[in-house]
Amino acid sequence: MAVLNDAAHVKVVGLPRALLYYRYSTLWETFFRSLGLQVVVSDPTDRAILQAGEEVSSDESCLASKVFMGAVANLIGRCDAVFIPSYASASPRVGFCTKYQSAPDMAANTFRDKNLPVISLLVEHLDNEREVEDAYVDLGKRLGFSTKEAKRAYKAARKAQKATDELWAKNQETALKDIKRLRHNTGDAPITILVVAHPYIGHDPFMADPVLDALKEAGAIVLFADETDKARAFKKSFEFTTTMPWVINRELIGSILSLQDKIDGIVLISAFPCGPDSMTDDAIMRCIEGTPILNLLIDAQNGTAGIQTRVESFMDILQFHKKGGYLHE
Amino acid sequence: MSNDGDRKPFLSSPPRKRENFEAGDAKAPESLQWRIAVSSEKRRSPLLPRKKDKPKKDKRHSPNRVAFFRYAYYDPCFKYFTEQVLNAEYLPLPPPTRRTEEVGTQNSTDYVCTPFKHILGDFVDALELGANVVVQFCGPCRLGYYGELQESILREMGYDNFSMLNFSNGLDVNSAVGWTRECLRQVNPDINVPKAALKLIPLTHMVAHVDSAYDFYLANAGFEREPGAFDQAWAAYLDAMSAATDEKSIQEAHARGMERMRAIPLDKPENPIRIGIVGEMFTAIDPRSNLNLDKKLLAMGVEVHRMMNLTNRFVRYNEPNLRQSARDYISYDMGPTSTITIVAAKKYAADGFDGLVHAKSAGCTPEIDCEPVLMRIAEDYSIPILYLTYDAQTSDTGLDTRLEAFYDMLAMKKQKGTLR
Repeated sequence: MAVLNDAAHVKVVGLPRALLYYRYSTLWETFFRSLGLQVVVSDPTDRAILQAGEEVSSDESCLASKVFMGAVANLIGRCDAVFIPSYASASPRVGFCTKYQSAPDMAANTFRDKNLPVISLLVEHLDNEREVEDAYVDLGKRLGFSTKEAKRAYKAARKAQKATDELWAKNQETALKDIKRLRHNTGDAPITILVVAHPYIGHDPFMADPVLDALKEAGAIVLFADETDKARAFKKSFEFTTTMPWVINRELIGSILSLQDKIDGIVLISAFPCGPDSMTDDAIMRCIEGTPILNLLIDAQNGTAGIQTRVESFMDILQFHKKGGYLHE
Repeated sequence: MSNDGDRKPFLSSPPRKRENFEAGDAKAPESLQWRIAVSSEKRRSPLLPRKKDKPKKDKRHSPNRVAFFRYAYYDPCFKYFTEQVLNAEYLPLPPPTRRTEEVGTQNSTDYVCTPFKHILGDFVDALELGANVVVQFCGPCRLGYYGELQESILREMGYDNFSMLNFSNGLDVNSAVGWTRECLRQVNPDINVPKAALKLIPLTHMVAHVDSAYDFYLANAGFEREPGAFDQAWAAYLDAMSAATDEKSIQEAHARGMERMRAIPLDKPENPIRIGIVGEMFTAIDPRSNLNLDKKLLAMGVEVHRMMNLTNRFVRYNEPNLRQSARDYISYDMGPTSTITIVAAKKYAADGFDGLVHAKSAGCTPEIDCEPVLMRIAEDYSIPILYLTYDAQTSDTGLDTRLEAFYDMLAMKKQKGTLR
């Protein structure tokens, strides 16, 4: 059996700190804890975790996938089962990279001989609130809880996740207001950068810190595109693309469109070779006008010196641009 | 400002020193790829122009010239669809040239999947040959965004006088309704919809026939007594199919073509080397994408099988049912073609095939994710698998060497098995 069906004995659930964890950590942790289960999150990404992931992954996998496999390996012996959901793309505009769909079976096969059971659930239509709830409730039942208990846990989890998302969106709005006020009062404000990256890149210090640190050292204020109000950003993305299938890329694009006139520059960070970003970055680079964009493609072997130089020269461009150097209306 | 979880809040964190991960070896190649764009000129809106309303019926307008991309042996099906269903003119494409590949590659981003580059080159060829509609499919992976991005690239390249029948449009409500509307808007407003819909039934039969005929070709062409007999028969089969316009002529073309292929004398050993090809839609099937993989294997005297084709993926596709036969390995659908890849691999392995070839485009996420499963199948049935990844630079000679080595290994293994 590839994925564990009867999971009533599972008392400690492992969560790999990778991929969708960076989007749903609150949801998942609250869900399992509300059921009275213990939650173990894999250690923060470091070179050892990446290497462990590289060892069991195809060379051709993307950086994020290798980190994910390393995170799963990190949980061996520390939990009764790892939770890896399958998020598929049956809704054409609210889909995911197929990586999220294949993750449970990919991990179950890779670690078949390591005694690492996988518990999972299937969400095919992310936009169908009812289906998502049923999927989690069904998992709760397989974990040995009643429908009522599982429902209660999911509702609590959803509420907590919503509160987290709202908090980040609110923080971003406050920050934007602060910058606006500063600009209004002093006529100047630090350079504001919108970092556009999948959450598991932008918020994984191992992958993003070389870029974020370089930006902050150069005096920039950093905003994250994935923290913008998700529903609004998603809706906005239809002004940019009709057929794009990936919900996360849509939210990132929507955030760019919403914030574009409030920021000085955009830094696109993609993991090599990210499927959705291979096309989305191209569309963004060609179609977003007026705001300078730095597109960084990171992979495992990066020295950080390269990143620093690129970020510094980009910041120089922005300074110059801000003074009216390159572009005149 | 409040903080939550382990993300650092905005504005507050001073530049932190990173300790651990710069240490790596200093000799590591600098593989950072980067680009900076500063654009000020007002560009076109990222949204592509789409015809919104059904234009007025006009019997006098000249029919649109429709081109598909180059794809395996399905030209007769594309032609039938264009002429019989869309009631438009079909523009067949000549074989691709070096320029096709170059234009496609140069105008795509580096790490997009290889079929995207091939198809972009095909569309450029088609537009230069006078097509005014090009057709793109949809799918639940990157394929779903091919059409829009390719159209935007083509327009930026200066090809502005065309429309794209993009099946990724019209998915939002009901795909049958949405696609019909797309066909009416982009190709021909005068399609008689009920009549055209009826003509889709012979089309599915045509696809199924062509696929079954090609299955026969793959299983037997490696053993023809007279070299070239099968290729001639196959070309004749496709010609006859191209001329077919209705159910009757499709059935006739198939019957006659099969008769001719069955009549070809064979020198087939009792127990030939059998290889199953698995992989994604484009690279496993399309000879241009896989550098004539079928022909190369057949030339070595191999019986070739391949479950992946349009019939099995679309006409008769029932994913949950299919997945049942591989339920020891997978619980969920892993991607657009993953279930067929895995089920076929398991079936061939269980049937005692000598080897498997897994063919995919560079960067094809769903097929990369199948590899851990294929490795388990290889272990459990001790069947060798040759993994082939194609990008725009893959060389013919490199492929020959690997296929020959693989064949020698299988032949040796088989001989040992027979002796024992």
